[in-house]
Order: sequence, then C-alpha cells, then structure tokens
Amino acid sequence: MAPQPVVTGLSPKEGPPGTRVIIRGEFLGNRPQDLVGLKICDSDCLLSAEWKSPNKIIARTGPARGKGDIIVTTVSGGVGTSTVQFRVYHETIGPLKESAVWIEESSPQNFAWGRRTLTQSGLTQEDPLGLSIEGNEQKIPEDLRDLVPDACGDLSQENFSPAWFLLENHSATSFVDLKAGLSYLKRKVESQKEGQLSFLKSNAGSVIDQLDTLMNIRDKLQEDTKLHGSEPLDVLELSIKNSIIESKKIFDDVLVRKEKADSTRAVLFALSRHKFLFCLPNAVDRLAEAGEYDKVVNDYSRAKNLFGKTEIPIFRKVLEEVDQRIMQIRKQLHEKVVKMPQRVEQQKKLIKALTSLEVQQSGTLVGDKLRNIDPAWDAIEARAKYLETTLRHTFEQYANRDAATQDKLKNRDPNQTPSRVNFCEEICDIAASQLPDLWRLGQLYFTGELRGQHDPKPGDFKRMILNAIEKFCVYLRLTILIAADQRTLRQTTGLSWPIGSNTATHQFLSWIPQCLRYTRIAYATLISLDLPSEALDIIQKLIDEVRLFCFSIIFKRATDRCKKLDAQETWEMGVEDFPGATLLPAALEALLVETLDEVQSVCMQPEAREGNLLEPQSDGQREVSQRLQEFLSAFSRVIEELAYQSHDEETPTHNVSQLLGFPNAQHTDPNVSSGHFYATGTSAVTWEQRMLCCLANYAYCNKSFFPHIGELFVKYGYPLPTLAIETSRYTVNQLFTNLLEEYVEHKGDPLVGTIEPSMYLGRFQWDHEMEIGKLRPYAHECCDNLVGVYSEIYTISPALLRPILESIVQTISEELARLMSCVRRFSFTGAIQANVDIRLLRDALENYVNETAKNYFLEALEAINPPLNAEQKRKADEILGHVKHNMRLQLLCFGVKDL
Amino acid sequence: MSKKPTAGPALHKVIMVGSGGVGKSALTLQFMYDEFVEDYEPTKADSYRKKVVLDGEEVQIDILDTAGQEDYAAIRDNYFRSGEGFLCVFSITDDESFQATQEFREQILRVKNDESIPFLLVGNKCDLNDKRKVPLNECQLRAQQWSVPYVETSAKTRENVDKVFFDLMREIRSRKTEDSKATSGRAKDRCKKRRLKCTLL
Ligand SMILES: Nc1nc2c(ncn2[C@@H]2O[C@H](COP(=O)(O)OP(=O)(O)O)[C@@H](O)[C@H]2O)c(=O)[nH]1
Ligand SMILES: [Mg+2]
Repeated sequence: MAPQPVVTGLSPKEGPPGTRVIIRGEFLGNRPQDLVGLKICDSDCLLSAEWKSPNKIIARTGPARGKGDIIVTTVSGGVGTSTVQFRVYHETIGPLKESAVWIEESSPQNFAWGRRTLTQSGLTQEDPLGLSIEGNEQKIPEDLRDLVPDACGDLSQENFSPAWFLLENHSATSFVDLKAGLSYLKRKVESQKEGQLSFLKSNAGSVIDQLDTLMNIRDKLQEDTKLHGSEPLDVLELSIKNSIIESKKIFDDVLVRKEKADSTRAVLFALSRHKFLFCLPNAVDRLAEAGEYDKVVNDYSRAKNLFGKTEIPIFRKVLEEVDQRIMQIRKQLHEKVVKMPQRVEQQKKLIKALTSLEVQQSGTLVGDKLRNIDPAWDAIEARAKYLETTLRHTFEQYANRDAATQDKLKNRDPNQTPSRVNFCEEICDIAASQLPDLWRLGQLYFTGELRGQHDPKPGDFKRMILNAIEKFCVYLRLTILIAADQRTLRQTTGLSWPIGSNTATHQFLSWIPQCLRYTRIAYATLISLDLPSEALDIIQKLIDEVRLFCFSIIFKRATDRCKKLDAQETWEMGVEDFPGATLLPAALEALLVETLDEVQSVCMQPEAREGNLLEPQSDGQREVSQRLQEFLSAFSRVIEELAYQSHDEETPTHNVSQLLGFPNAQHTDPNVSSGHFYATGTSAVTWEQRMLCCLANYAYCNKSFFPHIGELFVKYGYPLPTLAIETSRYTVNQLFTNLLEEYVEHKGDPLVGTIEPSMYLGRFQWDHEMEIGKLRPYAHECCDNLVGVYSEIYTISPALLRPILESIVQTISEELARLMSCVRRFSFTGAIQANVDIRLLRDALENYVNETAKNYFLEALEAINPPLNAEQKRKADEILGHVKHNMRLQLLCFGVKDL
Repeated sequence: MSKKPTAGPALHKVIMVGSGGVGKSALTLQFMYDEFVEDYEPTKADSYRKKVVLDGEEVQIDILDTAGQEDYAAIRDNYFRSGEGFLCVFSITDDESFQATQEFREQILRVKNDESIPFLLVGNKCDLNDKRKVPLNECQLRAQQWSVPYVETSAKTRENVDKVFFDLMREIRSRKTEDSKATSGRAKDRCKKRRLKCTLL
C-alpha cells in the first residue's frame, strides 16, 4: 500500500465558502480515479475536486465553518493527514465592497430559529448556599481539573460535581458555615416543594388551559393519523430527503453560476489589470513617434513576458496587433539607423532598440517575416558609404568651383586662400570627424555590444576602413602633390583637379605647409583611434611625401631668394680669417639657417608616427642633396654675375703707368690702405676691387665656407651632404679659375704690352754702346707697375697674390725672352745692361717666379749675343749690387710673402 | 509548558514578503516541492508546512506566502504579527521591486517592533543576470544598512533556494533559544492559569 496522503500546502489558506483552493502535498493519489475523498474543514469537497498530480489537487471549499484540516483519501494510501489548515470566514459584503470571491448571502445561523431556552428560576441563582464567596477567588486549587476529571462546577451542566463546586467556590469557607449553608439549601428545597402546590393553586386557570390545549393536540393527532396513517414521520422524512436533494441541486447550480460570475469578474479584473496590454498598440506607436524607442522595447518585452505564452484569444489578438506595430516600428527604425548624418550615440541607441525588438520578435509569425537584418552592420555600411560620398562630393564641389572661378578671374586676390587649401581643410575635418565615428561604431559592433544574431565580418570592416582612408589620401594627393606625376592616379580614379594658371599654381605652393598641417591634425586624430597600422601607413606615406614636397618648395623658394642676393652685396669685407671675402656668404648662411629652421618646423621634424625622411639612400636624402646643390650653385652664379656685372657698367681702369703717357694717377682712396672700404654704392668701388672680392669669395667658399655649410646641415640633424658640397666646391673652383684668368689678362696684358715700347723709347738700340751703371727705365717701369698690382691685391686679399702675380710674372718673363731673342747683336755695354735688367727683374720677383718663368728668364739671359765675357760679368754683378741697393724699398715690397 | 503539550518538532514560522511577481511563490514551491511554476498567478495568502532536518534536528517549517500587493495591505499586518522570520524578496530584474523592499522592511519593523527580527534580503531571478536592473553593490549596501544577510537566488535553477530557507530557520532557532533564556517560564505559566479561571466563572 502506498504511503498515506499528506497535505502540506494550501493556496490560499483562508477564504469564504466556495473559494478555489490549490492543495499541495504528497501521495495525493496516482491518478484521478485514485482520489476517493476530500474534506476541507469537515465539508465534503470531492465533487469540486480536480486531481492534477500526486502533488496537487484543485478544489473548491464547501459550506463549512471555522478552521479545519484537509483530509485526502485515496484508494492507494487510505485516509490522509494534513500539516496545514484552512480557515473559512464569512465576509459580509456591502454594495461598496469589492470582493475577489463569491459570497454566501444567507446566514447559516438561522437554523436555530424557534428554539428558546426556558429560564430555570431557582437553579441559576448566584449563590446556592447563601454564602458569600468573596475572598475565595485567590485560592483555587492548582490541579482541580486533574482531581475531578469530566466534571465542572456549573450547576446547569449535566456533569456538575458538588465537590468541584465546593472546592472552587468555598475552599476558604469554614465547616460551620458550610453546615449553615446546607441547612439553608435544605430549607430552600423544602420551601420549593411547598411552593409547587401553592403554585398550582394560584395558577389553576392556566393549568386548565394547558389541559385543554393538550386535549386539542390529542384530537389533532388522531385526525392526522386518520389522514396520513400511523407513521406520519415517514412522509416528513421523505420530504426532508427530497429537500436535501433539491438543495444539493440548487447548490450545484449556484456553483455553476458562481463559476460564471467568477470568470466574468476575472475578465473584468484582467481587463483593468491588463489595461497596459490593451493600450499597448497605440502606446508603442506614440512612443515610437516621440522617438522613445527604449520605452517601446521595455513595454514590448514586458508584454511579451507577461502574455507571450498566453492562450487567451483576446490577449493573443492584441499581442498580434502589437507585433504588427512593432514590425512597422522596426522598419522605421531600420530606416533611421541607416540615415546619415547622425551621431554614433543616436545610432547606437537605435540599433540597440532595433536589435532587441528583433530578438524579442524572432520566433513569432510576424517577426519572422522581417528577418536577416543586421542593423549594426547596415549602420556601419551606411556610415562608410556616407563618408565616401561626402569625400567625393566635397572634392567635386571644390574642384568645379575652382575651375569656374579660374575662368572668370584670372587675377584673383593673391591673399585669398586657394580653393585647394580650403578643400584640404574641409576634407581633413571630414576624415577626422567621420572616420572615428565609423571606427567606434565598428568597435561596438565587434565587441558584441551592438551585434545582432549574425556573425561579424571583420575582414569586410577592415577593408572598409582601408578603403575610406585610401580614398581620403587619393583626394589629398590629387590636391596637394601637384608636382608629382598624377597620371596613373587620374586614370585609376577618374578624378582630377583642373589645372589652373601658373600664377595660381605658384600661389598654392606657399600654402602647402598649411595643407600638411591640416593633414597632420587629421592623422593625429586617427592615430589616437588605434587603427590598424596598415591603415595608418597609407596616410603616413602620403604625409611623408607631402613633407618632402614641402621641403622642396621651401628650398626652391630659398634658392630664388638666393638668386637675388646680389642686391645685398655691400662689398664690406667682414670675414676675419679670409681677407677679401665679403659679407655675402654670411648673408647666404643667414638665409640658409632661416630656411633650415623653417623646414625643420614645417616638415622635417617627424611628428607622431611619421617616417624619417633622411634615411640613407632614400628619396629624402637625394632631394636634400639636390636642393642644396641647386642652392649653392645659384649662389655661385650670383658671385659670378657680381664679378662680371662691371663689364657692362664701366670701363675698367687701366691703372698701369706708361712711360708713353703721363703716369695714371694711382688710387688715392684713403680707405684702400686701411684694408676696408665702405662703399655706399657700387660706383665707389672699382671693378678690380670687386673682381678681387669675388675671387676671394670663391676661394673662401671653396676652402672653408662650403664645408662649413655642410657642418651646418649636420648640426640640424642631416647627414653630411658630401656630394652636394663637393660638387659645389668644384664649380666654385672652376669659376675661380675663369675669373682669375680674366683678371690676370686684364692686369697683365697692359703691363706686359708696355715693356717693348718703353724699351725702345728714344730710338734705343742694343748694339750701340751706352752709359751703364743704372737700371734701364723700362725695367723700372715694369717694376713699378708690378708694385701697383701687388698693392692692389694686397689691400684686398693677400691670399690672391701668388696665383695672380705668378701668372703675370710668367708673361713678363716670356715677353723678355721674346724681346731678347729678337735682338740681333748686343754692344759691349748693351750686353751688360740687358743682363742687369733681366737679372734684377728675376731677382726682384723671386717669390713669384715659377718653373716656367725661371726658364724664360734663363732663355732671355742666354739670348744675349754675344755672351758676356768675364769682365762684362764682373761689371754686371757690380752694377746689379749697386742697383739693388738703390731699389731696396721696392724690392722689399715683393719680399713680403703671401699670408 | 502550555496546556497543549507540544510533543512534535519545533515549528518555525517563515513569511515571504515582497512585491508581486518577484518569485515568492516560485521560491516557496521550489523549496517545498522542487517544482518551478512558469505562469504567474497572483497569490493571496498561501500556507505551507513540512518537516525538514535542520542541522540534524527535525523541525517543522511553516511558510506563509503573501500577496505583496496593495489590495491586501490591510490584512498584511495580521500576517506579519504571526511571523518569526522574513524572507524579503525582490527581483534583480525589476528596480521597482527592489525599492519596495524598503517599505516592507519598515512595515515589518513597525509590526514586530524588533530591529533584529530574523530577516533575509533575497534578490531573486539571478538566472536572468543579463537583464539585471539592480546592481549587486546596491543590494549589498542596503543589506548592510539593515545589517541583514543578502542572498541572490533563482527559483528557476534552484540556486540558493534551500540556503535562504535554512539560513532563516537557523536565525529563528537561535533567536528562540535566546528568548527562552531571557524570559522566565514560570511567569508565563501563571498568566495562563489566571485566564483559565476567568472562563470558568
Ligand atoms: N526566470 C525566472 N523566473 C522566475 C523566477 N522566480 C519567479 N519567476 C517567474 O516570475 C513570475 C512571478 O513569480 P511568482 O512566484 O508568482 O511571484 P510572486 O508574486 O512573488 O509570488 C512567474 O512567471 C515565475 O515563473 C526565477 O528565479 N527566475
Ligand atoms: Mg505569489
């Protein structure tokens, strides 16, 4: 046999008759038929019992009263027990009181009608013994109940016990008093006995009435017996039984009606309770209109939770309606999600709402109609597409506008910002604002915050980002890098910026650093996003190219300025360790330093995540070297022009003294002797002086200035531009040589040209005897002229003495050799004289006589015919010593060696 | 000691309080019958009682599952009076239900007039952690303010269901032993007897 049923749970635990109760417990039967008895508070409820499971029965309470057990009886387990109790209460219900259950309206107390208890006169008196019980209360024996079981001290009760009564009420009364009490009682009983007789006497009338009544009753009874037979009670019993059946029927009927009322009430209750649901279709529409999608999601999910699995048709219908509306809202939302422009936050909110609506609606009939959307991904795509179109539109807009204005106004205001620059700024702004948004949205998508039910597409997203950046760079490239070859770029993209006028292009060049700045700002924003390095590399490449372009532009501009440096030449010789060199190289250095500073701050200093443009063998280095070379050769040309300028401007002063005319007034410029002259204008400086200065400048450049420039570059962090420096030095050296030739030719030719006429002045003949003992005037003149040249050079740049004088001396010696060889015969004295002249010149210019000159001098000496005999030689030596002594000051002059 | 001798095991009376829909009935039914009810059926006042073994000792637990709804607030005080310990339940997915615990606490304290009444703050539906609306630290903070334990349960997964009932019973038990020590048994007895006599007369 199965265990006994036991009830352990009741829901609810109290209520009026007719309450629906869920009974829970154990072993409540193993099938509906197993349940054979159910009593709640002693009222049989089997009729309404609905067996659900061995743990659960649902029943309705019957017309019971008070609190009582729930007894389940099963075939398998027998009569059960209960650990919980049900309490029946009767609710009085008024027209204003709301009630959840049906209330019995007739009062069951009314069964007791008609019965009245007669008052028993003497026996109920307070104190039957006539004794006061005052003072006895406190002394109730402790265990009275145990002593006298099944008894009480109530006179009216059947189980009245005198002992109890006495113990209870008279435990403190003395025996004498009790005896007195007893006699009192006896007296009272006696008097009552007597009293019965007198009672009858005094009430004889009514006694007779009673007798009459009894007689009447007997007559009636006999009549009844005649009418209904000897057992009239059977009829009564039958009708009672009938009424019981009838009442049962009514009760059941009432139960059914009550059930109906209950359900109606439940519906009304549900309606008011579920007002929320019924208002929902309109509510969601209203909320959606107001853009409060969060609330839509919440309300919808609440409705789904509460009614998602409901079987009630009306709820289902409303829910279907809601589902339809939600579908519409989803469509709206999807449109809003992909609508651009909008903020990421907003988009995120919409996506979240949409995704959660979608998730909640999946599985339902309507919901499945609109599936397979991945709103976040759609949003990403929309954003990417928007970025792309914005970039393209902006480009087209600016490019077209630029083309239009160029046609109209050829000479625009040069201070006006070029369209390209404006475009750069705008496109960088767009990239710096839209790309981060796109990236952020992507992050949200991939971290799962916004992802729908679909797998993410990281490859696609990356491609999207790369593509966007690529596009961005293409536009910038087309706009900024105007010097680069853009043919392939134009072909692949089909885009181009209309080519403007030269001036416009030129104007734009100076704005390129500005463009670089815009690009860099955008780049910095993108770097902070943690984009993949692949993406950043694309921009870096562009930026590096632009930087290099900037560098070129700035250097080209510097070269242009360098070309105009000639205006700055003041002929002030300020180079301490290189006399003769002017301040022009210093001006060049200042220009270069300024340029390098500018270049450094504009483009060469790499910012975050930028390449070093100066890698060995890189385009950067090649560019630097080339630009520097251009710059320096421009400078060389400036010097050259400065040197030759004079040819056009003035006739060179042939300040060579000639015995033919009167000697040219030697320069008496007071400044010359001091070594510095401060010319207020070019005219104040002679052509020779300028020539010399330029020569000195060349030499200075070659020797120390250009290497110094190299060091300057190193100081600025560049690799030593050896090639550029060396090439420039070579050029300068070349120019120096040319210029030197020019000067020597200019100075030496007149000087040498005067020797022959001077020699044969006054019909002089070498084969005539002559007075000897002095130097011939032509030799004197030659010496003096050389001193003039010498001093001219010396005052400007002693370093130039040797190269210039050597050349001149060489031509002099050559001329002497030629002249001597032309003389057919020398007289005795003539030979001595010629020997002395030649030797003096040779000895005087000893410091500047090179090998060739030495040979010419020797040739000249040997050309004297006939050669000198010993006496002639002695005489010549004597005269030479004498002459040297006389001319020692002039000779001393040539003795000064170059510094 | 009273006139009806309690031969049976000790009885601990537990009351479930909290807003409607938080899972009080679900918790009770899970504890009582290992079953989880999916559908929501508002409770009025349900009674459950069964024998359990608490730390080796057989005791009876009596659970009163209440409505937790405004409609029945009037009778609530009566229920509270009979309770020895309270499980104050809210749903971690419903902030309003969490806010409501404050009021329940106040009502209980008002009726019981005892700050240290056995009481557990229970955050139910912890299986729905992804829909959590009430942050854990906020719950813990409140429990700390009340100096009551805080436990998160799930009537669905049965997580911590036994724990809350047993923990509460332990508190009730230790509370009772304290009380019986504090009050003298005799004085109580006397009172009962006096009342008996009055009915007799
Ligand atoms: N997921 C989940 N649902 C629960 C949990 N507890 C209760 N519910 C559900 O919440 C709804 C209300 O539960 P109920 O116990 O009737 O709440 P009461 O009003 O506090 O008694 C029912 O639909 C339950 O199925 C739980 O821990 N987890
Ligand atoms: Mg409930």
